[in-house]
This record gives sequence, structure tokens and C-alpha cells, in this order.
Amino acid sequence: MRREVNVLIIGAGISGLSIAYSLIKRGVKDVLVVDKSYISAGSTGRCATGIRASFTSKEHVVLMKRGIELWKEYASSELGREGLYYDQSGYVWVARKEESVEFFSKLTRLHNSLGVPTRLLSIDELKELVPTLNTELVAGAMLDPTAGKSYPFDTIFALLKYVTRNSVEVVTHAEAKKLIVKSGKVVGAEIEGTEVRAEYVVVAAGSGSRDLLKTVGIDLPISNIPRHALITEPYREAFKPLVIDWDTPGVPYVVQSKEGGFFMGRDIEEEAELPLTSQRIDFIPKVVKPLTQLFPWLRNVRVLRYWVGYYVTTPDHHPIYGPFEEVENLYVATGFSGHGYMMGPVTGELIANWILDGKPGIPEAERLVPSRFKVGALIKELAVVG
Amino acid sequence: MGGEVRELREHPAFVCRCRDVTVDDVIKAIDEGCRDLECLKRRLGIGMGPCQGRTCIPIVLGILARRLGKRHDEIELPTIRAPIIPIPIEYFLKSIDVKEVSKS
Repeated sequence: MRREVNVLIIGAGISGLSIAYSLIKRGVKDVLVVDKSYISAGSTGRCATGIRASFTSKEHVVLMKRGIELWKEYASSELGREGLYYDQSGYVWVARKEESVEFFSKLTRLHNSLGVPTRLLSIDELKELVPTLNTELVAGAMLDPTAGKSYPFDTIFALLKYVTRNSVEVVTHAEAKKLIVKSGKVVGAEIEGTEVRAEYVVVAAGSGSRDLLKTVGIDLPISNIPRHALITEPYREAFKPLVIDWDTPGVPYVVQSKEGGFFMGRDIEEEAELPLTSQRIDFIPKVVKPLTQLFPWLRNVRVLRYWVGYYVTTPDHHPIYGPFEEVENLYVATGFSGHGYMMGPVTGELIANWILDGKPGIPEAERLVPSRFKVGALIKELAVVG
Repeated sequence: MGGEVRELREHPAFVCRCRDVTVDDVIKAIDEGCRDLECLKRRLGIGMGPCQGRTCIPIVLGILARRLGKRHDEIELPTIRAPIIPIPIEYFLKSIDVKEVSKS
């Protein structure tokens, strides 16, 4: 492991590796990425693969519109040849109640005004798009045709190959125990008992970010909330888009992976900071019951694997990006509140810009700085969801 | 592995029959830097197919141990995920909600 680098990135998930990728693209190759566990062991490898720009705040929409452009660029670049892909197969929100259809109509006006082409679907259009859906319970639906999916491990290993070929060093099972600050400036980190010196340090350590930053007296308001997901055995393609059951509490979703397995998830009430071994016996019934009403044939499908991952959650459910007022040359990219995988490429671009230009290049990102919690400048949602 | 059409050697040795992973795939992944089973699992899909690793994990563990010059018991096993054996969704539909039990 190198002892002295230009940029030290802590966390080898999608954020850390995308930041390394964007730094290379801007000519910075003296970069070390460390992770306390195996590659993508945290929230990246536990996510349910969906990608969209149809959010309800200007910040999320603007960042993810750029994010989707970057996913497409990634997929058509050398990363695509290494297996990374973006399948723009859309998101479909299904409403069971008439009043939700009215709400969708309001949402599409908001999305359209921000340049995201969501639209309402007629029942016939819905049947055509998702032919295996039981529309008897459905009052209406909304489509985001720009949304899609990709596969975290294909993405991670494509990025890993690219960055290591371009002289970035990636060391796994190497824990950054504390950051080192001298006269108000970060100068490196202590990694497995070794002091690594760096001009810039980026904390992209997901659920471990809060504890690591505490070592230099910074306490970010992040809670690690367990979220549950499962995948079934693989089957032939049944439908393309990610389908969301809007009117069921906890908003269950189902999406079929490229290999054919159905990913399913639903938010259930959870206690922050419980360990990732906290499996819930009630989760699988809670997610499959509503989804089986929409897709009755799912009852014959077999559940293969069930796991827990953290939503690294902030008070306004938006990421924390950028530099600190207290410590110079220290940057953070965490607190994605469940959207870190889809935001990976845009995270990489704007953190690399921030380090090299002193600004992220996307003005909306400047509102996501850590100091917003101190001054009470939380991000506002333009439509209240739920 | 991603459903691509593979050009196979005349007699490829498969370690994973769920995802068509061969001995050569495993060796290549190790040489490219995957030095533990958690990494190989995510890189190749071993242990994540319908057999949940019952066939492939002991074989891959052996290849990895030989390649790294370690004993078998020095190689850490990957996390096992419930429900271990694939279970039809139908069975979960019959389950009673925790709240329903506490009400009665």
C-alpha cells in the first residue's frame, strides 16, 4: 500500500470508485482507495439496482438527470466493454386508489417542469408495457421512461478494472481507523496501523462515515436504517420496468434482473443502527403479499436469497457532499438515504470537480454541503410524497 | 455469467452449474485480484444461484487455497443467506402477521 498519495478515498463502493474514475478522467492518477471489508461490502452490493431522476426536489432531479447521462456514457465507454450496463427500461408507479392517480398527475407536472418526461399511463398502455400484471386492482399508473436499472457487481468490477489499470491502487480489508488533521487541515489517515499521507481525503464510507468523521470532531446527522430485500430464482423475462405498488404502506417494488431473478423490497418500520444480521421473520410475507395481488403468478416463484442493507439516512433524505468548514482538504460523499448506487456516477463527477476546481460544476450540489444542518438550510421537497 | 454466449473449450471443467462458471473463470478472477470468496462470489456469481453454493463453494475454496498457497481452513466462507433452500412464495402467503397474533 502506498504511504503518500495525492488523493485518499475511504470506501470502495460505487461512490469511492466513481470518484477515482472521474479523477482519472481529469488527469489525477495518484489515488489510493481503501475499504475496511471486501469490495462493495456495504450498501452498494445490497441495493436493488433501480436508477431514476423522477424525484420531488430540484436538487435530486437535477443531479440524477446528469446522473442518467453519465450512466449512459459509462455504458458506452470502456466500462461497458467490461460489463457495466444501463438498461433504460423505465419505472412504473401503480395506483390502487383514484386519488393517487390525481396525485400522479400533479407529480408529472412537477417532473415535466424540471425536464423529466414522466406521464400517466392508461390501463391499456399499462397492459401493453407490463403484460403479466393483474390490472383488476389498478386505478391508474405513472411511467418514467428515462429510469432504468443496472447490476451493482457488473458496475463495481468494471470500475475496479478501469481504475487499477490506470494506476489507482485499491486495497480491501484495510480499515481507516482515524483521520489525521494538523492545524485545521487533513493530512492523511491511519490505516491498519500505518499512517498514509494525502493532500486530499474523501470520506465515501457509507454507513461507516459517521464514526470515521467523529475521529476529527465532526458529527454528521446520519442514521443507518436497516432495509430489507430479496431475490428469487431466475426465470424468463416477465416484464421490463421496475414496478412500484404506490398505495401499499412501505411502497413495495419488484424488478426483474438481467439474469431473471425478481428483486423485491418494501420499507418496514425499523430501528436505526441495528446490525446487518437483524433479519426479520415477517419481512418476506410483508413484501410478497401485496406484490402477489398485482402479479398472481408470483406465488409459484421461489425465494432464493434475503438480505439486509443500510439506508444511510440524513434528516432531509438528501446526500451530504463536499468540503467542510472546520477541516481543509477533507471531502465527504455519503448519506444518500437509499440512492447512493444510482447517484454513483454523478457523485464521482462532482466530487472530482470540487477537489480540482473548488466547486462541483452543478450549482444544486452546493446546497448539499455538510454545513446545511448547522444553519438549518435543509433541502425542501416540492411535493409531499405519501 | 451475464447470459453471453460462451465459446467453450472442448472439455471445460465447471465449478458452478447454476451460472456456468468454469475453473478457468475462477483462476482468471483470482489472478485479477479477487483473493477471497466474498469477492469471487460477486465477480462470478458463485454461491448465488439456486444451489446457494452447495456445489461450487467447496470446489472454489479448494482452487483459491491452492492458488494462494493456504490451507483450506484459512479461507473464510462467504455469508449464507436465508432461506438456504429456495421456497415458493405461496408458502409465505399463508403466514400470519405478527400484529394479528398479538391482537388475538
